[in-house]
Amino acid sequence: MTQVARPAPGKPRRLDTFTLASEPGNERLALARVAGTVKGLGLSEARLERLKTAVAEATMNAIEHGNGNRAEIPVEVEVTQDGDAITVAISDQGGEAYDASAGSEEPDLLKKLDGGQTPRGWGLFLIRNMVDAMQVTTDGQRHTIWLTMRTGGAAHDEHV
Amino acid sequence: MTSMCEATTRHLPGAAVIELSGEVDGSAAAVLTGAYQNAVDGDSTRPIETVVLDFGAVDYINSTGIALIVSVLARARAERRKVVACGLSAHYREIFDITRLSDFIELFPDLDQAVSQLAH
Repeated sequence: MTQVARPAPGKPRRLDTFTLASEPGNERLALARVAGTVKGLGLSEARLERLKTAVAEATMNAIEHGNGNRAEIPVEVEVTQDGDAITVAISDQGGEAYDASAGSEEPDLLKKLDGGQTPRGWGLFLIRNMVDAMQVTTDGQRHTIWLTMRTGGAAHDEHV
Repeated sequence: MTSMCEATTRHLPGAAVIELSGEVDGSAAAVLTGAYQNAVDGDSTRPIETVVLDFGAVDYINSTGIALIVSVLARARAERRKVVACGLSAHYREIFDITRLSDFIELFPDLDQAVSQLAH
């Protein structure tokens, strides 16, 4: 299981920043752009795929739950690098009312198969398992999920 | 950039193969459930004991797609049918492991190997 930790301290270098309309499907735009931004920075193919999945899931949450699929409210994405840490920050305007990390039951496949849990609810679970660190912050209405992946994480490739 | 999920169903003795393509996300719900229904309805000569999900032409699966696969698996289990899968990339095989789907769905590298085990 991924540790929940703060982004690495220091002076991060901003690699990219962009916004997306809060429309279903735009998470694919986010993952493609982030993948292009971090390409060549030392992430293995497997870890790049994990980061892409985490970015897509976090962006989908921001679009659907944070901004309520209201296209006029943008999802903001920022990609930074600090040493070997690549961090993607994804912000919506859901405020404290929406915090996907709080109070959600860990998905249990057997319970889902037996009807004890809804089949859904995998998003945050996937995010946590895809990246090296995840943090959620709220500043007024601004709700941000920080996803950090380290470029020197070969050992992590072999065990998730 | 995005491609809608499509499904083609064909029958083998005692089994059905659902060949999926495109993206398995929320928009795939009707396609996947319809394909499963076609799979289990389509052969009146012999009960369908195994459903093969072929992901060889799928380029994206998200958490909602995982939920759809869970729903298909739940229904198959309730109907005492086996579900196997093939054609998953290494990344999605890992996601099947993390979610424990691979505890309930046997995974094969490709359709040929999935089909060959049906005879055993």
